Amino acid sequence: MAEPVLIDRPRADWTGIGLAIVLTLVIIFPLVVVALWAFTNVWRYPSILPQEFGLRYWTQTLSRPDVWQSITTSVSLACSVTVISAIICLPAAFAFARLQFPFRSILFFSFIAGQAFPKFGLLVAIAGIFLGLNLIGNFWGVVLIQLVGTLLYMIWIPVAAFQGVDRRMEEAARDVGASPLRVFWSITLPQAGPTIGAAVLLTFVNTFYETEGAWLIGAPQVHTMPILMISFINNQPVIQYGAVLSVILWIPSFFALLFARRVISGGSFARGFGA
Amino acid sequence: MALASASDIVGARKQGGRLVGLLLVAIPVILVAWMVIFPILSAVVTTLWQTGSNGVPAFTLKTYQFFFSDGYSLANLYLTLWTTALCALFLLVICLPIALYLRFAKGRLAAYVQGLAIFPLFVPSIVLAYAFIRVLGPNGMVDILLNAAHLPKIRTPYLTPWGPLIGLVWDHIPLTVLILLAGLGAVSDASIEAARDVGAGRLRLLWNIILPRLGNSILVAASFAVLGIFSAFTLPYVLGPAAPEMMGPFMQRTFRDLYDAPNAITQAVISFFFCIIFGLFYVRSIVNNQRNR
Repeated sequence: MAEPVLIDRPRADWTGIGLAIVLTLVIIFPLVVVALWAFTNVWRYPSILPQEFGLRYWTQTLSRPDVWQSITTSVSLACSVTVISAIICLPAAFAFARLQFPFRSILFFSFIAGQAFPKFGLLVAIAGIFLGLNLIGNFWGVVLIQLVGTLLYMIWIPVAAFQGVDRRMEEAARDVGASPLRVFWSITLPQAGPTIGAAVLLTFVNTFYETEGAWLIGAPQVHTMPILMISFINNQPVIQYGAVLSVILWIPSFFALLFARRVISGGSFARGFGA
Repeated sequence: MALASASDIVGARKQGGRLVGLLLVAIPVILVAWMVIFPILSAVVTTLWQTGSNGVPAFTLKTYQFFFSDGYSLANLYLTLWTTALCALFLLVICLPIALYLRFAKGRLAAYVQGLAIFPLFVPSIVLAYAFIRVLGPNGMVDILLNAAHLPKIRTPYLTPWGPLIGLVWDHIPLTVLILLAGLGAVSDASIEAARDVGAGRLRLLWNIILPRLGNSILVAASFAVLGIFSAFTLPYVLGPAAPEMMGPFMQRTFRDLYDAPNAITQAVISFFFCIIFGLFYVRSIVNNQRNR
């Protein structure tokens, strides 16, 4: 008899190699070009590489007042929205996960109502309401419209986290006399914490990059980094300013990439999008 | 004694829990009612009941009649429909092979491909727009490389309808792949092995075993893409032509530059109308998923 056939016979994975090359070219290459521009002092067409590398445009970009103003605006907007969202959503998520109350199911699913509509159309409809409330061109108007965009994931992801906590451990702690608060602090939070942390981080990052509501409601008074980036793209002849701002803009995403990737790669994230 | 008091606490929590629960969820629920459901209803109502010349609100279709008789509005709508349909098609053609590969491949190369496919999730659209211009724009990186190879420059897609199309496809790759991959998880290894055993080839396997089970996921991915692309704003605004424009920039310009809220809201309601079937289907599948957990 011949030797048993190996199931995992090593064979060149040509499909994988092909996909890896194409995706690297399409996804990574454009971003490398931007990074290259950010660290370029001189790059004249048609040279393949910059004539002179350097940090000259970092100093120039970072000395522009509009850049600093947009950084401050973006950070304070994203922080306000994330903190308010956490304060109102996390207790609600706990209630949805643990308490019995009337209309629980229908209220829980009410948060996806907005998902049935194209987002910008919905923003225009909200802006129509804001027009009568004098919230156009107002910082808090932008906070409000961005807050609404965070509700769904700030409730649904933590609900899953609270439901994933081992109830038997909580009950055991209660049996030996721990107070409800103590149980929440020592048993529930450590188990649900990482997922909730990821939800908070994703909320911050998504709010930081939210452009459409900020533009529709906030312009021209509220100037966030993405909005400044749009004006750099449309009106700024110096290419490097946009490149440097792109690199700065990417920092929150980098943290999301570091800490939240596991949540996103897991099946439950895709399921949240209806997969 | 200890047992009795514990059960007392539990009992007290249960009775008070109904009210406490409602109070805890009140603020987010009110926000959704006020900022999502009310604006949608209000948008429909205010565009259909407008104050006439005599100052009395009456049923009217005049903003809708204007939209559907105005050549420019219609051109914008056609451009949006064209972009949405082509994007959905391209996404499917690009993402299905990636998802199929990731479903069956293992190892470091597959992990690398998956990482790349998900990566656009971590690139803000506006940075993507900038990268697009630096690579495919006039005298961009592609022109530089072609020039170095003594080839003619490309006709740049920047500021043409193909600009937003390419950008939107790029932007939607990660979630489309994730949704399709989750759907492929439902195709069991056993059914594929069984089909292979009776001699089914790769194409037959795809057509007869995998695609029928993947139909729902494909529709979900398509719905998600349609909802995201139909009213996309940033990429069409930055990469697209000035005229005709997609519905997103069109609504924004009507609302903020022309100060014409009634017509902007009419455009929004029209975009709701064109997406409603996809929207309802999409929401229904999210609800089903949550229930089946």
